[in-house]
Amino acid sequence: MKRQIPLIIVITLGFMFVAHSFIPHTISQDFLTWFQDWMKAISPFAVVLGIMSLFMVHGKKISYKAPNWQYSIVTLAGLIFTALTGFIWGTQAGTPYMWIFKNIQMPMSSTMFALLAFYIASAAYKAFRARSPEATVLLVAAIIVMLGQVPLGTMISKWIPISSKWILNVPNLASKRAIMIGVGLGMTATSLKILLGIERTYLGGGD
Amino acid sequence: MKLNLGKISSLMLLAVFCFVLLPINSNAAVNPNDYIIEELQAKDVPNDDGGGLVLSWKPLPKEKRIIEYRVYRGVTADSLFYIGKVDVNVRTGVAGNEVFFYDTSYNSFLSLESPAKLKKEKQQEKDSPLYGTFPRDLSITGPQLKNFNILAVINEDAFYFKNKKVEITNDDGGTDVYAGLELRHFFGLYKKLLADKEYYYTVFAVTESRKYMPYAEPVIGIARENSPEKIDKFFATYVNDANRLQFEWSRAAFADDNTDHSIYLIKKNDLAKFETYVAEQKQLEKNMLDRMTDKTVAEFVPTIKENPAKLIFKRYCGYPYNPVNTASVNIEDGKIVGENIDAQIDVENIENYGFVFSLQDRAGYETFSAIAYSDIISLSDLPSLPEYWEINDRPDDKGDYNRIYWEKPVAFLTNTSFLNEDKTEIMVNYDFFSNSKYKNIKTIYFDLYDEDGNKLDSVNEYYQDKKLVFNLPEPKEKLFMKITIRTKVDDDENYTFDQELVFDEQSKSLMPGELMLDGEKLNDYAYSIYKNNFSSQEWRLSKKMMGSQREFFDNISYNMPHYKGVSKFDAEKGLLYVDPSFSIRMNADKSASVSSNLYQSEMDKAVEKYSKEVANYTEKIATAETEAEKAGFQSAMDYYQGQIDIIKNNEILKKAAEFDNDKARVKFLKKVKEIGNRAFEYKMVRSDGKAHFSESSTYSSEMATKLPYTEEIRAFYPGLGTTYFFPIPNWFSSDKLPALIATLIFGLLVFIMIFQAKRGKNLYVRPIAGIEEIDNAIGRATEMGKPILFVPGLSGISDVATLAGLSILGRVAKKAAEYDTRILVPVRDFIVLPIAQEIVKEAHFEAGRPDTHDKNSVFFITTSQFAFVAGVNGVMVREKTATNFYMGMFWAEALIMTENGSATGAIQIAGTDAVTQIPFFITTCDYTLIGEELYAASAYLAKEPLQIGTLKAVDYTKFLILAFIVVGSILSTVHATFLINAFPEK
Repeated sequence: MKRQIPLIIVITLGFMFVAHSFIPHTISQDFLTWFQDWMKAISPFAVVLGIMSLFMVHGKKISYKAPNWQYSIVTLAGLIFTALTGFIWGTQAGTPYMWIFKNIQMPMSSTMFALLAFYIASAAYKAFRARSPEATVLLVAAIIVMLGQVPLGTMISKWIPISSKWILNVPNLASKRAIMIGVGLGMTATSLKILLGIERTYLGGGD
Repeated sequence: MKLNLGKISSLMLLAVFCFVLLPINSNAAVNPNDYIIEELQAKDVPNDDGGGLVLSWKPLPKEKRIIEYRVYRGVTADSLFYIGKVDVNVRTGVAGNEVFFYDTSYNSFLSLESPAKLKKEKQQEKDSPLYGTFPRDLSITGPQLKNFNILAVINEDAFYFKNKKVEITNDDGGTDVYAGLELRHFFGLYKKLLADKEYYYTVFAVTESRKYMPYAEPVIGIARENSPEKIDKFFATYVNDANRLQFEWSRAAFADDNTDHSIYLIKKNDLAKFETYVAEQKQLEKNMLDRMTDKTVAEFVPTIKENPAKLIFKRYCGYPYNPVNTASVNIEDGKIVGENIDAQIDVENIENYGFVFSLQDRAGYETFSAIAYSDIISLSDLPSLPEYWEINDRPDDKGDYNRIYWEKPVAFLTNTSFLNEDKTEIMVNYDFFSNSKYKNIKTIYFDLYDEDGNKLDSVNEYYQDKKLVFNLPEPKEKLFMKITIRTKVDDDENYTFDQELVFDEQSKSLMPGELMLDGEKLNDYAYSIYKNNFSSQEWRLSKKMMGSQREFFDNISYNMPHYKGVSKFDAEKGLLYVDPSFSIRMNADKSASVSSNLYQSEMDKAVEKYSKEVANYTEKIATAETEAEKAGFQSAMDYYQGQIDIIKNNEILKKAAEFDNDKARVKFLKKVKEIGNRAFEYKMVRSDGKAHFSESSTYSSEMATKLPYTEEIRAFYPGLGTTYFFPIPNWFSSDKLPALIATLIFGLLVFIMIFQAKRGKNLYVRPIAGIEEIDNAIGRATEMGKPILFVPGLSGISDVATLAGLSILGRVAKKAAEYDTRILVPVRDFIVLPIAQEIVKEAHFEAGRPDTHDKNSVFFITTSQFAFVAGVNGVMVREKTATNFYMGMFWAEALIMTENGSATGAIQIAGTDAVTQIPFFITTCDYTLIGEELYAASAYLAKEPLQIGTLKAVDYTKFLILAFIVVGSILSTVHATFLINAFPEK
């Protein structure tokens, strides 16, 4: 029963939603709205699970004094402190919660995002090393596309921006679309497997 | 740096210290009295219905770091309730010398989102009169109802079926019946100020650190009923061969309490007298307002009591829609034709007459426009109406749109750009408007000419991609384009538009000029679609569109809330009382409303009441002393007699009275009312905005094929389906037919392949290196004695990529459990967390190693994208994971994670359907599952007939799609577009 009931719910609702996408009738639309309202009501309960998981993982680390357990104190202290500021003073502009958000959370997120620039340079170096004919083609294409995006490319030759556009619009777009067709079919196949009960891993375990 | 407890504690203390110190520092040496706002005023809003006040005050300097101003209102100075705020940018402050806050129109008074209890405003003195917003507690908010004009918006079903019948004894000793509703049955209660009532207002500032400063001394504001605004534009035209006057005017910005549109005729000789009359009326209004505030002001008596201009047109406009803004007045034998109109005009000397438009409001105020003089035209000068137009239900929708379409498609140039330095190669962008009749245009021919009429180039657009490239022999400053359209409906009939291209110095390009058709500028005349239903006397504007538009979908919402005034309540029971009567439709000649009541017993009482009134007025008429008195009584008696006739003789009400119980009766009336409200008739006006317009008659057609409800209900609405159009909900979206067929073919293929696989047929699947290496990667971690990291993407459970990732997690976790290798699964989504935990737990049980399962191996980090990456990177570095799997949906964080994993020396296998992230994974990971391979991985790993069969079906479907692409490309190349057009664009 532990498997059957969720499976029945998934299959029933799954087919209902497949039907919904072909039925524009107001009954079908209202059902979707009603269901989405329930989804909104269920979601907050999952937040509790997430917070419990955080406390269990980091609490265990602190109590066993696992390696680097001090970081867990920072994590839990940050969680409790931020939550308290929100509960006590609210989340409007000018409150401590927003101060934390603007002066701690935002700069830290921006710092992580900024790292991306260096990682892209590193990844580009790896990708463009002309160690094989394929990598050489990639290198040449990349140079043309990069030059095509800046005025220098046009100054060198009028063909560079034209070639750049062609590379982006023809071979690049064709590959992207090929991947997207595959992805679309893969998604449909996975959805169908779930609907027919062939794929049950998401219920826990293999089969 | 290695952190120990001492260092951590010090850092925490420092953070707390800084945090606590910041607000203390920012509030240091602040004198709250310096923050009291000054010059607070509450002034009447002009040209309104007496329901609006505007507050203004002097803003505090930006150095004071104000973040908002909070506004409070009450009917006494000792209780002021929060009504709204004005946000301020702390850095820039307020630009200008005044801050304004408008307390106008209907705005929120009470709803389910209101607080449960009334709260004193925080950070104010103990005896402060300031409170929060009105609470849901009716013992506090209920008494406030009488201080405002309240409009309740009630859920339709709640009004009909959730009401409680309540009887209240009235002042005369009789009983009034109300429908009692709980607050949850209302979408909301909205309030407007009452005219001539005193309201108190105060405002205080809030600083950046959310310190509430002291409030300003409350000021009094009184909203006054004013005359309507003066409209901007009014045009008059005399159509000589039709002997007709035509008028057009601009719509009023504030039209809430306007009741009538009137047009007057005035002789030039009487202009001075008319201007005096208008000036005196303004003076009279001002005098009345002055006397309201100061009783010592002498009463002004106008010298001209009657309008010297002659009324030639009057139309009711007191409904909450955009009214018609054109009027036609016919002339017969020098007399203006119209009900209750008595005016003459000498059309031979029409230049001796002026016309004036007026707006009247409920209070009887009248505002006149500037005088307009008619130009004289003939019928041939008026714009032509479409040769054909059609109205019907829009197919494939939920039943909330009627579609209106007319004329043939239009194509026009939108922009150009030079493609070379010589300016001899130009790209021309174009667009087109088509409609449901013509749908896909067969061909558009573009022919480019120079100023001398020499043809320079031409392009035939069989497939309309909205881009054209032309080659010119030499640069040109002016070009002409002939745009010829051939449709599929009228195959042989081509028609041509002309459009100029003139070089523009500013944009350095050839700019498209006016679009011409048969010598007429297409966009000079706009289309206005007007509609009217069974429940309204007058037409309303549905949409005004430019002259090149060819189709319009008229939205007819399902949502039909009831709007009611509320003044009574029961705080104990938590009920608000509303009038239980409701209108169903207008009667056949639209002279009166057919109304019913939630309770049939009240209908019977109404007949009794009206009969008494009829008897009462009959007596009064007999004893009336003057003719005017008699006429007034007669009018009242006619009204009551009319109401009795409707209740007794109207077919709908007669049928409703046959029901035994109120619920069944109201259910029947609800259906009847829906048709009355949602079936519309239409007419079209084509105009240049200056009274040169043509108006169609009401559209009618053959009986529509789909009609709502039963014949019995439809019988109450003659004309339904021929002149009145009701949108019908559809059970199948025909534009999704190709998708349905493709899904069925795919499903069939899946079943066939599964069947073959089950019968033991060896289905070959292409080996994928990334999947084959999964086992080796797990083995590597086992050999190294280090954990495996598995990231199931960053999106939620509704993303199919996440489901695919979780499927792979199940296989990987089982293998890891068999090898007794730790697996770490950081999760970003709350809902994915318990699912991933269950998958890993079950995998350990299936592998026969429940003892090795660590429930904390699947853990939540955070929902913040980059904080999650930081957490995952930390896990990689601290745990020194030997194998990293990234399976699911990823965004910009992908590269940060995989580069970090690469730096730690882990073997990495990624799989994603995010096209933008695939290059990063390929570069930084050892193996990558590209797009669909992510979805195939689970089947590869399972190696079961069911899974492999599905995989094979995907391959065959891909082959089918490829075949369609190739055939479609070939056909399109030879201008056969039927295959492309068979598929929906999106």
